[in-house]
Amino acid sequence: MNMQQAIKMTAAETALVDAYTAQIGDLPGDGAVLSLRDTLVHELKTAGLPTRRVESWHYTDLRTLLRAVPSADPSAFADRVDPIVPGSSVLSVRNGQADLKSLPEGVTARSYTESLLDGSAVAGLAVLGSDDAIGRINGGLVGGGLEIALAEGAEFEAPLEIQIAQSHGQAHTRFPVSFGAGSKATVIERHLSTNGDASFVSSVTDLTLAEGADVIWIILQQQGPADTHLGQIRFDLGKDAKLHLVVINAGGKLVRQELHGKASGEGADLTLRGINLLGGDSHTDVTFTLSHDVPHTTSTEIIRNVVFDRAKGVFQGKILVAKDAQKTDAKMSCNTLLLSDEGDFSAKPELEIFADDVQCGHGATVIDIDHTQLFYLLSRGIPENKARAMLVNAFVAEIVEELEADEALVEALEGVISAWLAKHA
Amino acid sequence: MPAVQETIDQVRQIDVDQYKYGFETKIEMDKAPKGLSEDIIRLISAKKNEPEWMLEWRLEAYQRWLTMDEPSWARVRYPKIDFNEIHYYAAPKGTTGPKSLDEVDPELLKVYEKLGIPLKEQEILAGVEKTRIAVDAVFDSVSVVTTFKEELKKAGVIFMSISEAMREHPDLVRKYLGTVVPQSDNFYATLNAAVFTDGSFVYVPKGVRCPMELSTYFRINEKNTGQFERTLIIADEGAYVSYLEGCTAPQRDENQLHAAVVELIALDDAEIKYSTVQNWYPGDKHGKGGIYNFVTKRGDCRGKNSKISWTQVETGSAITWKYPSCILRGDGSRGEFYSIAVSNGHQQVDSGTKMIHLGKNTSSRIISKGIAAGVSDNTYRGQVSAHRKAENARNFTQCDSLLIGDKCGAHTVPYIEAKNSTAQFEHEATTSKISEDQLFYCLQRGIPEEQAIALIVSGFVKEVIQELPMEFAVEAQKLIGISLEGSVG
Repeated sequence: MNMQQAIKMTAAETALVDAYTAQIGDLPGDGAVLSLRDTLVHELKTAGLPTRRVESWHYTDLRTLLRAVPSADPSAFADRVDPIVPGSSVLSVRNGQADLKSLPEGVTARSYTESLLDGSAVAGLAVLGSDDAIGRINGGLVGGGLEIALAEGAEFEAPLEIQIAQSHGQAHTRFPVSFGAGSKATVIERHLSTNGDASFVSSVTDLTLAEGADVIWIILQQQGPADTHLGQIRFDLGKDAKLHLVVINAGGKLVRQELHGKASGEGADLTLRGINLLGGDSHTDVTFTLSHDVPHTTSTEIIRNVVFDRAKGVFQGKILVAKDAQKTDAKMSCNTLLLSDEGDFSAKPELEIFADDVQCGHGATVIDIDHTQLFYLLSRGIPENKARAMLVNAFVAEIVEELEADEALVEALEGVISAWLAKHA
Repeated sequence: MPAVQETIDQVRQIDVDQYKYGFETKIEMDKAPKGLSEDIIRLISAKKNEPEWMLEWRLEAYQRWLTMDEPSWARVRYPKIDFNEIHYYAAPKGTTGPKSLDEVDPELLKVYEKLGIPLKEQEILAGVEKTRIAVDAVFDSVSVVTTFKEELKKAGVIFMSISEAMREHPDLVRKYLGTVVPQSDNFYATLNAAVFTDGSFVYVPKGVRCPMELSTYFRINEKNTGQFERTLIIADEGAYVSYLEGCTAPQRDENQLHAAVVELIALDDAEIKYSTVQNWYPGDKHGKGGIYNFVTKRGDCRGKNSKISWTQVETGSAITWKYPSCILRGDGSRGEFYSIAVSNGHQQVDSGTKMIHLGKNTSSRIISKGIAAGVSDNTYRGQVSAHRKAENARNFTQCDSLLIGDKCGAHTVPYIEAKNSTAQFEHEATTSKISEDQLFYCLQRGIPEEQAIALIVSGFVKEVIQELPMEFAVEAQKLIGISLEGSVG
């Protein structure tokens, strides 16, 4: 076995393995879960973190970029903050312990720790593939989270906010969420840090939408400027299920947000909207794969990126249309405003198509602010910095305005964008 | 939709065996023993009467190659190639290099006649619209004849086989060889550097506009051989040249390897237009046989305001692995890539381009049209990047795929990398089948269905065909017809 350990472990790899070793005996799980944890950590030890030679990590060489991992501190949880949309129900996870106090009717939830302890979590802990570094780290170290189920036909007016707040140290959480047939809900998954200390967060969310479920799921990542955030959303869309996924990255130093999904029921529809606000020395990667497995499914993806300072941004998107998935309609676009000569952005929008009766397309652009638009505003007496800010704001805010049905939500998200731009632009 | 159903049925029945150029010529050959070793490389070098530095260059490449692994990232599958089961040198007996037309073996001339390649200068003069094309004919490992050499010489243009150039213009070859595709660039390019046997060399001096189209015609004939040619084209300041490349091979059950390297160098204000109609044997309808086409093509826009344009029509080969690229080094330089890749039967195509923007005010344009039919796989893979100092880099990319039948696959894998805020990149890709609206429009105007499909396909590829020199455009259009015969008129 020792022969396999050919790689010399980096400081970050050592820290992750050490975090595991230090917590053996404390990490929850039955026999099967504990043995899977062992396997995952062993794989991490032998394979190391992925490098650019691993195709899905081509633009995010995690082995080089992740220099250090803060050690786990059991007391490193932060207090609950007010929900971003006033009136939301808030479920929070602090140090693996779920706070289920304000659970609305129609939702059942229990601490993920229990699922680990009784072993029901083991199937979901499996990695998605040999390049699934996030699944591996999270599966090895996950301490808690929430298992949420929405009853058939359950509908909510106010959003449900899942708050994962961290002050420093490490947090590894999981959220298996199932939406019953015909249920309707808006959920905000909000990652934030309460101070500038470095924290390392991995989080895996697993969404299952039954027939006709209609869900808006918003990931709002507002971690601190020294934080590492490794997030993963898995989703499976049943017949006629509708998922509107919004990913907003407005923080973090090293961020990888993966979205992997399947349209496995006819009539399923995915809308993905991404906003990446990139500044400072951050590196942010959004990687998306969607597999259209059955006929008559649709998807549209729009990603908008704004790059300031020395920030680096990555978008990788892959639409896969399986052999019999006729009548698939998939459109993906990725637009970037590259506003700094020291920043960079790389995009890799892929199509992999095995069915002929389909309409698939993607577009990608990387540009500076449109000079004619800028001129228009200047000619109307608006100062240049203000005019620029307006144009940048309009470029991204457009994406959240689609959620017009919920005014309070749009307002809250626009607030996040404006606040970020006011600080960086 | 019945029309589409019919198309699909027709595609199912389609025989890839309609390959017209699959005949084999019985000709006495001079072959090196099978396998690859330093001795074989010395033998090739000796056969070519090469200078000592060239042999050293080859041996160096060979040593590097021994340490390299075959690339596996492309979307193609094939059994492992045994590089020791290949003859690395095969030449028609008594041919050590091109000579005058009268001395060439009449059997060989017949081959080119059959292929429709004009080798007799007077015939070409009597050709359509009096256009003249100078041809370098490469048969297995050697160049057998180069036409119009004298006339080109008058204009100052050097056009000859690369082995000849190494003897006659060693300084030029030495100055430029391997400067665009280095010896150890990639697995196949390194193999090529070690064992390349022939190819064409073009040098267009300062301010000269090459008076005619230049072309090289590659033919693989011998069994168990690989063809490794190397082409080097240099356009000096203000020069212009248009170069065409064509290729065919006999129909065989075994796969054969073709690993070529093409290097283009454009100095200040120069322009090179490189067109390829690739029609290697694609294998039969069961996917047996066919050429493995692993080619490294790269152009270097070294000078200010230089321009390199690649146009390719890919219809043949069992496997195509090829990414003609442009390095836009000179300020104001421009790269273009126009491609039609048609795959049918069991063919696998993984092709595309790279546009590397290094200089200021550089621009590039990529138009790629993939048509997949049968059980083939057709992948576009391309990279566009702007480096920190590439101010005002501009790219437009459009890659469209058309699927005919439900057993084929079409894939798009672009890499877009911008490191400069003044860069402006636009990329768009679509995948669809033939539009029912367009088809309906044609049908209601009384155009028969098959003809309508042919019309739509030719409309789909028009942007690329237009970029080909006229003589080639006709051939290319015909080839696409043959490749898709049964599915389109």
